[in-house]
Amino acid sequence: MTPISKDRRLIISVVVFAAAVLLPAVVHDTFWLRVATEAIMWVGLALGFDVIAGYTGYLNFGHQAFFGIGCYATALLMMRAHWPFFLALAAGGVVGAVSALIIGIPTLRLRGAYFAIATWAVARAVQQGALMAGFTGGPDGMRTSEYLNPHFFYYVMLGVVGLTFFVLWFLLERAPFGLKLKAVREDQESAKALGLNPTHLKIKAFILSAIPTALCGGVFAYWVTFIDPNSTLGDLLSDQALVMVIFGGMGTLIGPVVGAVIIFGFKTVFWAYLSAYEVLYLIILGALIAASVIFLPDGVLGISFRRRSGRAKQEPTQPAAAASGKEA
Amino acid sequence: MAEPILKVEHVSKVFGGLTAVNDVSFEMNAGEILGLIGPNGAGKTTLFNVISGYYRPTRGKVWFQGRNISHKPPYYLAGQGIGRTFQVVKPFAGLSVLENITIASFLKHPRRAAAEAHAWKVLEFTGLADRAQIPAASLTLAGRKRLEIGKALALEPSFLLLDEVVAGLNPTETDRTIELIRKLRDNGITILIVEHIMRVIMGISDRLVVLNFGQMIAQGGPAEVAGNPAVIQAYLGEEHE
Repeated sequence: MTPISKDRRLIISVVVFAAAVLLPAVVHDTFWLRVATEAIMWVGLALGFDVIAGYTGYLNFGHQAFFGIGCYATALLMMRAHWPFFLALAAGGVVGAVSALIIGIPTLRLRGAYFAIATWAVARAVQQGALMAGFTGGPDGMRTSEYLNPHFFYYVMLGVVGLTFFVLWFLLERAPFGLKLKAVREDQESAKALGLNPTHLKIKAFILSAIPTALCGGVFAYWVTFIDPNSTLGDLLSDQALVMVIFGGMGTLIGPVVGAVIIFGFKTVFWAYLSAYEVLYLIILGALIAASVIFLPDGVLGISFRRRSGRAKQEPTQPAAAASGKEA
Repeated sequence: MAEPILKVEHVSKVFGGLTAVNDVSFEMNAGEILGLIGPNGAGKTTLFNVISGYYRPTRGKVWFQGRNISHKPPYYLAGQGIGRTFQVVKPFAGLSVLENITIASFLKHPRRAAAEAHAWKVLEFTGLADRAQIPAASLTLAGRKRLEIGKALALEPSFLLLDEVVAGLNPTETDRTIELIRKLRDNGITILIVEHIMRVIMGISDRLVVLNFGQMIAQGGPAEVAGNPAVIQAYLGEEHE
């Protein structure tokens, strides 16, 4: 990957972002604007997931914990402490970062499947906590103040996710940090010999993964006006983020964007027009994922790269291979 | 040369009931090449791992440039100027050769552009420049061993631990690697080398340390060690001659 093609990808990203900014001028239908808002949210969640999964090599099956924590932190500060939304949102991001630190220190020592199991268990515990605690409203969930302005939420979501994308792009593709993470992913022992402290790098990556996820949660909480432990702390969130990242291309930034848009778009179209065949949706999705894991180890994004740079088939980019290998 | 650059002081490493390294002491002066030899399982790699911070010594101390480094982690030691290679090579397989070396260069060149520029110099020096853009996974064994040395070099170390960097190479590649090691020494790097191939280690080392069953049984110049009865016995057995 030469710097030139990297620059080209940044330009494409800026163009896509600009198009997203102009989208509400074209799309007047509130339904589709909501769909676009949620698609952008999934882009954010997939990006956050990929920082730790693709770049660092750790499959986090407890990703939903950060989303839910962001949701509840923002909602609680708004409803109980009467903070203004943006302040509560920022605080939600901070709470997400702190939880990543607390969860990461013990779990990031584990490797492969053990990390996946541990994070899944922690997320389950967080969900259980939200179900049992009084201040969260327990299983009944809680309401946030109603602010029915689709444009507002579209732009806030776009702002959060756009900022996330460009910050991650700088940190992971331009600054040394991304390469250092990849070194840890490829071989932790070797990385140590080169002066890298894997524990520090992994915790930083985990925090970097948690912040955008918690921020998306915060926006989501205000947007949908009602949150409960099932919708915000359920396993499905991690599963979907994983699927999007694998489908798009792990260990890249464009991969999760493409994966999230395609998978979420497919889901929406299916539910909107073919809801009678609801059962088929999961079957098709499952088949698609299985096929993409087998035939497209680099995700959809891998097809275009392989063609352009003429890369041979026997050298798959490692993230998917490394992650699945470690899991075995 | 007033002070030795490395001082290994009564170092032992015990794994459960197995004493892999038993009370080994030796010193190294700046600028010399010390060969560490011994039969399989003698504790060479274990001793390497103790010196480079991967294992903590059960007993004893390791001093580097006058500082006790016995309980320091590898990434700290890399910052102090200790570079190492691994017997089983550890390339970052999914990354390009250039990226591999760039990562190592970050230690002394924190900015990406500077690190990359430095990496190119290391690639030229180790003869890998023509393969800079290919993934490390598709290098030949000789190439991977070279990359291993290149990564250690990119740290700009003052002290280098080379663990079997010649083993498995053909004669031409072997000669090129020996030449490379000599060039490093001429650049002022102190080198501790483990190697099985006697032709190589005898030719290249200023001094040798011989381990057998975790114990140091001899040290001295190559000729002196080669004539030492204890060494002959360790390698060839009791009934020699």
